[in-house]
Amino acid sequence: MNQVVLPQAGLSSAGSNKSKKIWLKGIKNVFLTIYALVTLYPLIWLFISAFKSNEEFYSRPFLLPTVWKWDNIVRAWKVSGMGLSLWNSTVVTVLSLVLTLVIGALAAYILSRFSFRLKPFFMGLFLLGMLIPVHSTLVPLFILMKKIGILNTYAALILPYTAFELPLAIFVLAAYLVTIPKEIEEAALIDGTGYWGIFFRMMMPLSMPALSTIAILGFLRFWNDFAFALVFISKPALKTVPLSLSAFATGYMTDYELTMAALAIAVLPTIIVFLLFQEQIMKGMTAGAVKG
Amino acid sequence: MTKASRITGFITIGLVPALVLYLLFVIVPIFWSAYYGFFDWKGIGAAKFIGLANYAEVIKDPIFWKAFKNNMLVVVASVFGQVPIAMILALLLMRSTLFQRMIRASVFMPMVLSSVVVGIIWGYIYHPQIGILNFMLDGIGLDSWKKAWLSDPKISMYALMVPIIWNYIGPYMIMFIAALQNISPEVEDASKLDGVGPVRKLFAITLPMIWDTVKVAIVLCISGSLKAFDLIYVMTGGGPAHSTELLASYMYNSTFNVYRFGFGSAISTAIIILSLILITGSQYLMKRDYR
Repeated sequence: MNQVVLPQAGLSSAGSNKSKKIWLKGIKNVFLTIYALVTLYPLIWLFISAFKSNEEFYSRPFLLPTVWKWDNIVRAWKVSGMGLSLWNSTVVTVLSLVLTLVIGALAAYILSRFSFRLKPFFMGLFLLGMLIPVHSTLVPLFILMKKIGILNTYAALILPYTAFELPLAIFVLAAYLVTIPKEIEEAALIDGTGYWGIFFRMMMPLSMPALSTIAILGFLRFWNDFAFALVFISKPALKTVPLSLSAFATGYMTDYELTMAALAIAVLPTIIVFLLFQEQIMKGMTAGAVKG
Repeated sequence: MTKASRITGFITIGLVPALVLYLLFVIVPIFWSAYYGFFDWKGIGAAKFIGLANYAEVIKDPIFWKAFKNNMLVVVASVFGQVPIAMILALLLMRSTLFQRMIRASVFMPMVLSSVVVGIIWGYIYHPQIGILNFMLDGIGLDSWKKAWLSDPKISMYALMVPIIWNYIGPYMIMFIAALQNISPEVEDASKLDGVGPVRKLFAITLPMIWDTVKVAIVLCISGSLKAFDLIYVMTGGGPAHSTELLASYMYNSTFNVYRFGFGSAISTAIIILSLILITGSQYLMKRDYR
């Protein structure tokens, strides 16, 4: 008898252990789901409120709108001049990205592939830039831009965006370029390709993964920037999305449906980019934070 | 043209654009702000040289030190808020199933939103009359806890900590997950064989093994606190009565609201010096602690 009972006892204790594990896992997943919902709640609330009437905004704050007011979005688009701000943000972001990628890649190629006397000095110089708090340069940059007369132009944003993104771009790209074997370059040199040809036709295409990481991080940084735009841009026609949002929200503070709808329009581009490139963004921003 | 001179030419032309932009917009401003700190200047008209007066005023200025204290409060909140929450989430989210990746993405989401949007949303959450926080307290019968969260100088700074913590948990979580996944599976097997319980395993094995990453996270909390300007600007502007002033917002207000460019420059210089001391100091302490 004993011989039969013992394995059974063993089996049932393993079974209860297993069911305990399933319970623990269930509790864990419930906890994580609640945590994620609480984290996302401000955003969910924003998207629900964007379709409510002003009255429902505070009479039914936690509930879905009784009537979905889709025209809030249309009205907010018109009243806030969101089309113009989106255009400004797009121009500034795209031009800054092109500049950062070309200039940064060129510098990274030279700093990772050639050896010359001043190289360690330049590397140290670019590293220093990562320690400087961006906001401490606002006042002197404002004075500088006033003197050279580029306040209230696209250049007032494009140039400092690029300059501040360069250290990260150079270090990410240089780390990537080091992994490309030297033989490829030597073969091209023997074939008579010049350094410019090697850079544009070989190094740029080969470093696509690193370039795309920098582009995605740069997009988020430039698109969301507020401090530079606040100080260097005061002309309404040149306002970027965050700047015109902050002005709009101050002016229309009590028109909740319009403010919420404008916010909803403004966050959509970054949310879409995030959903498309989640893994790359999470890894890249974390690495960027550690290096910066 | 010789090969050597061709290389030199390429190096020069290739580095010049990056160097010029970088020096002009990142490095030179540091020296400019140190220089303008010696002047009394309204932004227009002639600047008057006043020696060290601005710097002396910064050092004696109680609001400047109040702002510095608030910056340190943000560091403390980040170290004891962000780091532990991110660690718990990382321990629960080490496997990369679809469900876990969705949770990770949700936690990370605030990072990609413009801080203006985040500030406006939280402004509405905290709003004394129509804010959902006070509505929620009403709903669960805690109406006595209702507050004017952002306009009461006694609590406004603490109220601001919540969105700051909420906003920046993501990167810390990802860092910790990467570190946890780097622990070799043999350690796991060995602790299982020795019958080490989960709590002891956490404190005696797991945490010591990723302690270096935790240190990096703490250094990041310090440098990150110096970057919190946008949220404060949008939500309180540094008020009421300077109660939520940070170094960056005080610099901004002194320069662009009351047009004291010289004084603002002196504050900028002070910020650079303080942050270099804090960052190098913290890195030095961390290194010394690590054997």
